[in-house]
Amino acid sequence: MATQAPELAWLDARETVTVTELSRVCALSPAELDELVEYGALVPLAAMPQEPLFSAEWVMPLRAAGKLRRDFDLDLFAVAIVLDYLHRIDGLEIQLRSLQALVPASTRPKPVAT
Amino acid sequence: MKYKDYYEVLGVPRDAQLDQIKKAYRKLARENHPDVSKASGGEAKFKDAAEAYATLKDPEKRKAYDELGRRPAGEEFAPPPQWEQHFGSREGGFGDVDLEELLASLGRGRGGAQRAARPAQGSDFETTVSLSLEDASRGTTVNLTVGDGEQGRTLEVTIPAGVSEGQKLRLRGKGGKGRNGGDDGDIYLHLSLAPHAVFRPDKHDLYFDLALAPWEAALGAEVEVPTLEGPVVLTVPAGTRSGRKLRLRGRGMANGRGGRGDLYAVAVIEVPATLTDRERELFGQLAAASGFNPRSAGPGGKHGNAST
Repeated sequence: MATQAPELAWLDARETVTVTELSRVCALSPAELDELVEYGALVPLAAMPQEPLFSAEWVMPLRAAGKLRRDFDLDLFAVAIVLDYLHRIDGLEIQLRSLQALVPASTRPKPVAT
Repeated sequence: MKYKDYYEVLGVPRDAQLDQIKKAYRKLARENHPDVSKASGGEAKFKDAAEAYATLKDPEKRKAYDELGRRPAGEEFAPPPQWEQHFGSREGGFGDVDLEELLASLGRGRGGAQRAARPAQGSDFETTVSLSLEDASRGTTVNLTVGDGEQGRTLEVTIPAGVSEGQKLRLRGKGGKGRNGGDDGDIYLHLSLAPHAVFRPDKHDLYFDLALAPWEAALGAEVEVPTLEGPVVLTVPAGTRSGRKLRLRGRGMANGRGGRGDLYAVAVIEVPATLTDRERELFGQLAAASGFNPRSAGPGGKHGNAST
């Protein structure tokens, strides 16, 4: 087995991706990404004269939405809705973690089995 | 090559319309998708349904599939001669080719030679890496084993300092190998912080419960508290209420930009489970002398005549 040193990129607001790169990593075409922008579900960083640029924060939610699209044969408008909900879930999870950190361990409710 | 009955998998007749096929697939996907179903064998059923749907929703693939006629599932078969027009002739025939792979290639262009040369991107991999708070704060190295192809690969990945819960990293070009000049896939790492015996993280801040005796909370105290780098002394102000957060600035986790979060001690006032005679006597004297009523209006109660 060979050992290699990989190239790392943070998938957060520190990094940006072009629409071409976003299309490649999310398996959605540039035209489909444009449609998501038209729906307001995907927001470019700024109107660029050449190629739109996006925060790398979009990569993982778009990969998840793209996978759900393929798995459930969803149309693109459904993907836009899914993307909004994935964002809300992400935000709520962050808020939940913050609240859990504040609550003393002895008074924290036990997690509900799912 | 083994025959798979895609119509049977989706539970539709062989003359089913596209709408009927789509509806049957969505029902099976809803029931068996790994994100939704916890039933045993659900994932395998979902994969079978997805494979069947990928062929039957596409008129060209469905026509090629229908040319096989109806056979028992799992039966070995020789593809009809016209498949050489669809898929090109193959050295050694079609015997070692999977039906799904072959039909999928039909959607990637016409002409066997051209299809064979079409670039294909390598597979992406996603995995979760769990880090201790200490490693997440100061950075660490993890070894990932990627099991694509016959030979596994080990990647030594340097995780930078300042990771917080839920951050994601992309290792560009380190996934499955591309074919015919296609790009190599990527690896996506979901970074998670392992539960810590003392500290609870909120981004780069840390929280922990600081147990105080009632007299420490009332009178104030100098107490030794833990940090990621070892114990330090914290001054607890007099009149500290339960739940009050005492901040130790810059004693949280590194944030990866040269700074650090803060450490918060959350006051938790404990009382002795059992009292000695002397302690009971002293608490009795305090109760008699104090005008403090924690149940009166206002945060933390207020001083006045305690009701008895």
